[in-house]
Amino acid sequence: MSSSPAPAPADACPGPGYASPQEAIRAPREKVVYTICLYEGTGVEEPDYLATIDVDPESPTFSQVIARTEMPIIGDELHHMGWNACSSCHGDGSMARRYLIIPGVRTTNFYIVDTATDPRRPTLYKTIDGEEIKRKTNLSAPHTVHCLGSDIIVSMLGDAEGNAPGGFLHLNRDFEIVGRWENDISGMRYNYDFWYQPRHNMMVSSEWAAPNTFLPGFDLEDVGKGKYGQRLHFWDFAGKRIERTIDLGEEGLIPLETRFHHDPDSTHGFVGAALSSNIFHWYKDAAGEVQVEKVIDVPSIEVESFPVPMPGLITDILLSMDDRFLYFSNWLHGDLRQYDISDPSHPVLTGQVWIGGLLGKAPEVNGHRIAGAPQMIQLSLDGKRLYVTTSLFSTWDNQFYPEMKGAGGAMVRVDCDAENGGMTLDPDFFIDFGKEPKGPTRAHETRYPGGDCSSDIWV
Amino acid sequence: MARTYRVVLRNRDHACLEVGEEETILAGAEARGFRLPVGCRYGGCITCAAKLIDGKVVQPKGTALKRRQVKAGYILLCVARPRQDCTLEVGVESHDALFVNPFAVRGE
Repeated sequence: MSSSPAPAPADACPGPGYASPQEAIRAPREKVVYTICLYEGTGVEEPDYLATIDVDPESPTFSQVIARTEMPIIGDELHHMGWNACSSCHGDGSMARRYLIIPGVRTTNFYIVDTATDPRRPTLYKTIDGEEIKRKTNLSAPHTVHCLGSDIIVSMLGDAEGNAPGGFLHLNRDFEIVGRWENDISGMRYNYDFWYQPRHNMMVSSEWAAPNTFLPGFDLEDVGKGKYGQRLHFWDFAGKRIERTIDLGEEGLIPLETRFHHDPDSTHGFVGAALSSNIFHWYKDAAGEVQVEKVIDVPSIEVESFPVPMPGLITDILLSMDDRFLYFSNWLHGDLRQYDISDPSHPVLTGQVWIGGLLGKAPEVNGHRIAGAPQMIQLSLDGKRLYVTTSLFSTWDNQFYPEMKGAGGAMVRVDCDAENGGMTLDPDFFIDFGKEPKGPTRAHETRYPGGDCSSDIWV
Repeated sequence: MARTYRVVLRNRDHACLEVGEEETILAGAEARGFRLPVGCRYGGCITCAAKLIDGKVVQPKGTALKRRQVKAGYILLCVARPRQDCTLEVGVESHDALFVNPFAVRGE
């Protein structure tokens, strides 16, 4: 761990975010959070929207959706989002964490939403037309958005026709298309998530599949044909090219979310292989060589009447800001887990809760029936409150949890013991997206206005 | 002059659209003010799937539909163009046979 600087006076560094992860942990508690709501495949033909959710227990509208920022058209499938600025430009007084960049996976449209003018009622500031992005960059199907100093890079999962491997889109601070970010895509078969660690000139990217493979839904035959990923790519970040590719093999099928330690001096990180349902740990050894090892294995479960054993399907993982706990969701089994990763090679299970799921262990939470299971998770900066939503992706939802399209998604809050480990479901908080004014919606990724445990990077 | 065909949306009060042979059925339906499910608009994502009950359409090769889904009668309205008068069931309510849990069924 690097020595942490003393908390800076508020005016010492005028840029966004925090001087260090230690300072981020001490940030004020979140009062609202922003969550993606989507209507694809529900039968409600309405635009997707960003929901603003009141999470302040002192507020009269606590545990309610207080604003809905609607997109202009139907069919985008809003999915993941990122900030225009984070702690990576903490030293730049001309930047502010003001805009959420929210792309649509199915249309490649980008929506820039202003959350600063009124954090309780965000407004659409700018739209980037997906057809223009396809034309200028031959990229489609946006996924992860990271700011990079004052610029923005986005992992794009396909070319303009939805074929692999895609690449990385570069936007400038005014949300203009600069072009492709990478200098060379050689070695990449598929694309998905990425995270960078600039002090070590490292970037890691993972592999889902071509949009034409995953957009229509999940098919085991496609896995057999090699149409899903199993590789991790370690980039020369400054050179914008892949330095080393590691094949995770059958134990590493569909590596999705990549999470570096928040500590900018660390080379350690983790990735969840969704289909194989294993967690892998990577780091650079004393000789500077990248090492990757499997550290958690979630066994598949034989379900009566299912001919194929059912994997947990680890769809989202994240690390607490102090790098002590790793959280992940098993979207098919229905459990959410917390591991102590003080020794990153030997994680220790410290907490587990059940929310919905196909094993039927927790059909109800707080008196509400759950049509789905824990999926996207987002942890408060102090490590104490985990917000959990239930939708994965509209077509995949309709395969595994077809009842979600009528019942809607849910958000629950899990209270986490950041000292001793352990998790409990918060009995006072529940968002039932089945009761939305225009009809039941799915609920996907969540972001906190002041940053969260997957939004900020320190340079 | 391009030919047009009559496309009946059986579960939209039997609404009858005139769709040109070079026009997608989705474009024809949207031009008449129908809001039907849609995503990618290039045949890659099956959000716009509908059941062809009667008639004939052409679609580009290699749409995202699997053989099983084609056998069940699904077409993709964002790329399907009529070649005969057609009758369709549209919307998510036509998707009963579109999706399966791959762990719960035997391989085909």
